[in-house]
Amino acid sequence: MNGTPNRPAEDTDAPGKGGGLAALFELHRAEIIRFLRARCGDSTQADDLIQELWIKLDRHASGPIANGRAYLFRMANNLVLDSARARQRAMARDRQWLSADDGEDIHPANRADPSLRQDEALAREQEEALVRDAVSALPTGAQRALRLHRFEGLGHAEVANIMGISRSGVEKHLAVAMKNLRASLADCGWFVSVASQVRTDEAGGTPETENGHER
Amino acid sequence: MNGEDSIIDQAATWHVASTDDAMDWDGFTAWLEADPRHRAAYDELALAGSLFDEHRKVLGTVTEPAAPVAAPTTRWRGWAAGALAASLVAGLTLPSLLRDDDQIYSTGTTGRTVTLADGSSVAMAPHSRLTVSGKDGERIALSGGAYFSIRHDPGRSLSISAGPAEISDIGTVFDVQSSGQAVRIGVADGQVSVKFANVFGEPSVVGKGGTLSYEGAGGRVLIRTADTSDIGGWQKGRLSYQDTSLRLVAADLERYAGVNLVVPDTLQGRRFSGTLVIGNGQAALRDLSQLMGLELARDAGHYRLVDRAH
Repeated sequence: MNGTPNRPAEDTDAPGKGGGLAALFELHRAEIIRFLRARCGDSTQADDLIQELWIKLDRHASGPIANGRAYLFRMANNLVLDSARARQRAMARDRQWLSADDGEDIHPANRADPSLRQDEALAREQEEALVRDAVSALPTGAQRALRLHRFEGLGHAEVANIMGISRSGVEKHLAVAMKNLRASLADCGWFVSVASQVRTDEAGGTPETENGHER
Repeated sequence: MNGEDSIIDQAATWHVASTDDAMDWDGFTAWLEADPRHRAAYDELALAGSLFDEHRKVLGTVTEPAAPVAAPTTRWRGWAAGALAASLVAGLTLPSLLRDDDQIYSTGTTGRTVTLADGSSVAMAPHSRLTVSGKDGERIALSGGAYFSIRHDPGRSLSISAGPAEISDIGTVFDVQSSGQAVRIGVADGQVSVKFANVFGEPSVVGKGGTLSYEGAGGRVLIRTADTSDIGGWQKGRLSYQDTSLRLVAADLERYAGVNLVVPDTLQGRRFSGTLVIGNGQAALRDLSQLMGLELARDAGHYRLVDRAH
């Protein structure tokens, strides 16, 4: 997936690929590319992702989709997130962001899977602890909205219904929850790897981390 | 610093909006284009959001003790003490809210059987909650899974609420699976009536060997027939599906097999038909992925279904 395929659709594969979504994709391609470029800040990555998105349409379930355009944007947005998450994981692994002292109390019995790499298991444990703390520090309303939305999988309107508050109330609760976890993650330097790419080319104004890794 | 804060506020708002159908994608694109810091802030919020998803279990365990049943009661009590003037409203609402005789049963990693006052029995699935209220215990609310063997008594109006569904007219043996807004009902003997909140019209009657499923907002209520031996099959270590979304299958595997399976957004709507044996969670996952033609990837502590296409 190295090329920068601007028009993969015509000659690449069998007709009818992905059904109606493929047609919608053609229709909205320009907007989605524009979105991906803004979202990635890197046109090469954006071009790779649009190709990946197009391939995914092929495997997409044939069921009807209420709002195809929004669906395509959401798929595109998720692709960017997946790659950011993968990058974050890889860099966390390289960086061994846990200090050596913490490293000594690894309980092999606590590892979910013996084949897991030790540092990954640790990173996961630490993440889980961060999530747990961030959740329990939330006000009850935000906690409940978060649980209904992310754990029970309900939409904003459904959460609003259950909690007896407005949709925008639900969205405020959820935003508080996201900001809380983000703040805890930022405090322990979890983002350094992801953010550094951006920060360095912008005069590196804010001191992001105290452990001063150079990458 | 203020600038940073408000960028993060905006990014949080956009991130929350992006999980909803009503997202303004053009507005979001314009916001991203306006300032490269927006993108970086959004990345952080979205990554935080993905951690919530990867550690979904924590959300269940952390909040369980704090959020449920006990909270509204105490809150209302405090409010009532401080606001006697509101006695008119309070007089109407408090009695039902202050009832302490609601019986709440909840299960952890193993199920349990509960015997109701009239001798009826309910086999509760793991990670499930049952609330029995009303003067004669005639109102039951379920979240999770349960297999009901209810003694038929035409003289009383027992009802069971599960997500958006209200089950009544009960005198039977039936299974209910309720998670969020999704509800699935299978009748092994007798019949039940099922009505949905916000839906007008006659309730649906589901008879012996019938199943009803509703997968949540935007879905339809489907009534089908099933093999009665498949109904409540989880008690014998089997989960049987007819054209069920992977999202629900994954939720079941988490409840019954204790495995954490992440289904990416793009695969959530794919549908599965078949039977999974849940004694060994990993084997069930392998069977599911093979039957669906998907790959099973293992991340730290959870599994993920992946499309082979890339």
